[in-house]
Parts: sequence; C-alpha cells; structure tokens
Amino acid sequence: MDVAFLTIAELGKLYRQRELSPVEVTKALLDRIARHDAKLRSFLLVTEGVALAEAAEAERAQMAGALRGPMHGIPYALKDIIETAGIRTTGHSKLRQDYVPAADADIVTRLKAAGGVLMGKLATWEFALGGPSFDLPWPPARNPWNTDHLPGGSSSGAGASVAAGFVPGAVGTDTGGSVRGPAAFCGLAGIKPSYGRISRRGVFPNTFSMDHCGPLTRSAEDIALFLQSIAGYDPQDPGSENLPVPDYAAELAGGIKGMRLGLVEGWHTDPGAHPDLAAAIGEAVGVLRDLGAEIVPVRLSSLRDYTDCKTTISSVELYSIHEHDLKTRPQDFGRILRNRVLPGALITGQDYMAALRWRSELAREQATALQQVDAFITAGALTVADRANPEAPDRFAQTPSITMPFSVAGTPAIAIPCGFSQAERLPLSLQIAAAPFDEARVLRIAHAYQQVTTWHRRHPTLA
Amino acid sequence: MTDRADHTHLPPSTDAEIRGMIRRAGLNLSEELMQQFIAAWPGYEAMIRRLPRDRAYTAEPAHIFQPTRLLP
Repeated sequence: MDVAFLTIAELGKLYRQRELSPVEVTKALLDRIARHDAKLRSFLLVTEGVALAEAAEAERAQMAGALRGPMHGIPYALKDIIETAGIRTTGHSKLRQDYVPAADADIVTRLKAAGGVLMGKLATWEFALGGPSFDLPWPPARNPWNTDHLPGGSSSGAGASVAAGFVPGAVGTDTGGSVRGPAAFCGLAGIKPSYGRISRRGVFPNTFSMDHCGPLTRSAEDIALFLQSIAGYDPQDPGSENLPVPDYAAELAGGIKGMRLGLVEGWHTDPGAHPDLAAAIGEAVGVLRDLGAEIVPVRLSSLRDYTDCKTTISSVELYSIHEHDLKTRPQDFGRILRNRVLPGALITGQDYMAALRWRSELAREQATALQQVDAFITAGALTVADRANPEAPDRFAQTPSITMPFSVAGTPAIAIPCGFSQAERLPLSLQIAAAPFDEARVLRIAHAYQQVTTWHRRHPTLA
Repeated sequence: MTDRADHTHLPPSTDAEIRGMIRRAGLNLSEELMQQFIAAWPGYEAMIRRLPRDRAYTAEPAHIFQPTRLLP
C-alpha cells in the first residue's frame, strides 16, 4: 500500500483495524523524504531517530489497543521556528543556526501527549518573515507541483512537505497568511485559528498581537483532527483564551443548508488577481449554493486598508524583537528579512497607535458583518505560486494581501483548494472565515465543499 | 467608508533624511546595507502615510491592557 497520500483520518482507521502500523508508515515516509526532498528542500532536519522511536512507542500502544486519539502514530513535521527540546531550531537563519532549545513549545508537548511522530523541522522564510530568500544557510523550499515555483510562505516547508506526501500534516505559523498562503499555493487545507486558540509559547515571535500556530493537511477533516490535539488554553501565553475546545470532528457533518455565506466583494477580483481566479471562486460559490447555502454579497474595507494596518503593527513589533541583532550584526540577516524589519525602527509611536485604533475599527467591521452572515467567502490567494527568482524585487509592503484581513480581526480562516490555473497548472484556493472561536463552522463549510469536490485529492507526481 | 485624514500629502523622505533617521535610531549600517534600505523604505513610508489619523477622542486601540492575564 502506498501510504504517501493517506490522510490522517485514513491512517487512523487503518491503525485501529491493524492493517497498518505506525512504524511501517514512518519508515515508508522517511524513505520517500530521502528519495525526493533533495529537489524540494522542505526539511532542514529530518529527525529519523526520534521518529522511529515515537513510531515504535505508538505501535506498542496500537497492539495494546490503547491508541490515544486521532494523532496517535501520525507522522508530522514542524516549521523550524517552533522549539523542540534538544533538537536544533534555527528559524532558517544564520542568527540561530546552532541554537538548540532546552524546552519544547507548548504545541510540541501536546503533540507528544497525543502520540504524534515527529519527522523533522521544516524550511521557513527567515524567522517567519524574510522570504523567499536565497542568501541564507539553507535554500528556500520548492513547490512539489512545479519545482521552478515556490510553495509560498512563510510556512514554506510545511506546504511543500505535505503536498509532496512526506507527512500527512505539518504545523506552521500564520501572522499575515503564512499557513494559508502555502496551503493555497500547494493545493492543501491550512487554517489560521482564532487568535488565542493555540498557544504561542515556544514559538519564535513575529508579531506578538497577531501570531497564530496552525496545521496544514490534505483535507478539512484532517485539519479538524489535528486541531483537536493542539488547541487549548495555556496560562503561560498571555494571549491564550480559556475557552472550551469543541469536538471539531463531531461537528463536521450536518452540511451547510440554510447557512448565509458572505462573498466579499472586490477582494478576489482585485486588479492583481490571477485571470482564472474569479471563475474558480465563482464555481466554488456555485457548489456551496448547490449544497443549500445562501450566498450574499458583503462589502468590507479594501485589502489595501487591511494590509497597511497589519503591516504597520507587525513592522513595529518585529523591530522590537530583532532590534539588538540589527544593531550588532545586521549583516547576518538575510537581505529580505533585514529590509522588512528595519522599517519598524522608523515608524513612530503615533503611526503605531493610528494602526492599532484602525485595527479595532476593522475588526469591528467584520464582527458587524458577521451578524448578518454565518461566514465570509473569498480566495485563499490572489495569484498562483511564484517562480523561484533570486532577483525578484521585494514588494511586501506594496502588495495587498487577501489573508491579512482575518489576521487583523483574529478570526479563524481556512484555505482549501478549489481548482487549478490553466496556463501554469498550479493550485487555486478558496478561503472561508467566521467569527472568533467558530473554527467548527469554518471546518464544516470546508468539509461540506470537499465532500462533493475532488481538488483536495489531486497530488503532484514527484520525478 | 468616510473620507479620511492621512499624511499622503507629505513629500517623500530624501536619501539624506533616511540616513539621518537610521542614525538617530541607533543603527549602524554599512553603505551596501544602507543603499538596500533606502530602496526599501519608500514602500513603507507610503504605507504609514496612508494610515487614517482622524479619530474620535474615545477611539480605543486594539491592545488594551488586561492585568488579569499576567497573574501567576
């Protein structure tokens, strides 16, 4: 049996039926990584010894009929800004290329308790912001759909490794779109949960007030299973919310008949959008309508507004994190990260406060709209995956982002595949967002869509 | 959306002004790194000039302090 593209749900069923073992699956995936990752560079470090030990432990539990839950025995990988005790955690940066944490991030502690199998640490844009970069100790990851293209970022290795069939799930982080972007560009499901749903403890910060951890998998159902194992209150994270974690898998079924879904006007039809995107979103909306949802137009502030608000806040918070290193060793940063963080030094307190007061207004705008609709619908990305080009100019501050609106509002948002571009044959993506801590609704809509479409079942062929 | 007051009417910073701002921020960049930043800054300056400034006195920012979150 080729296990490469089995989902977490499928693996769990086969484990319970004892038709597959965690050790078999882990060995097969380690072999696949060894054969193919030289071309994709999704892993910075493969933790083979840890993986086999954890798989063996999971197999003992399997044989004893003591599987703990949906992630038990499931291989996964971590974006390399998530700290792992005794295992190098580099941030994909020269600044931390030899750093070995003493303690696990909270999310790692939860995955260990759930019986997950850690396969390794994944490529990322430098400190989850500086990328795609070609001047770092490791090259950027490549897109399995076409290795001339990039997988997006900043959770670049997470997107590439799941799309390539190296792991059925990976943990990324999302401040302005860094889970949803790679999910969109790699044909995956990727969720940015509500701010405070998953602990940030032990994750190298990007923007304290907007950082989220989130899984990337091959289906909304798998997102539900993965999220179940990592969501929850952490009193040591001041942003963590002490709210119950629903049974996400149990809430997947039930369909979307009667739901009111707000299609955000003007976002996915932005002048910079891919020419095939509008039609793909239109088709996806048709599917949702056929499933019984009512589609209504919703008007929110522009992507430009949300992007300016988010980037101003982020720039200041980022500079506060990197100030010492920028003052003592600026040459050791990658060019892109350095020039995305330095602006924070020149943004004034008044600018920062203007952005924070705007953030309240923008978040309130979405909350008001969500009194009339159950969820928002838009695209997961405006374009398809970029070509790998070391000479490409950095237009981070200038380019409106379709993921940043839900970062500003702190609301849950998932990206799922909804088609392929005609010319490049690269994934196109749908994004669904809902009210704070209503991940269950977002997942239910995504799952309903995936029950009647097959985009998420397509996989790249690795040469 | 209402008309907003912002700073888009202000002129862009000159290279000399950018160098001065970097120096006053306590940063010491080589000429190569400074040139890279001078090329990058205009996009960010344009961004912060677009921020709406005209707010009611009582418009609250999104980072209100909650001391209970810091209890041991």
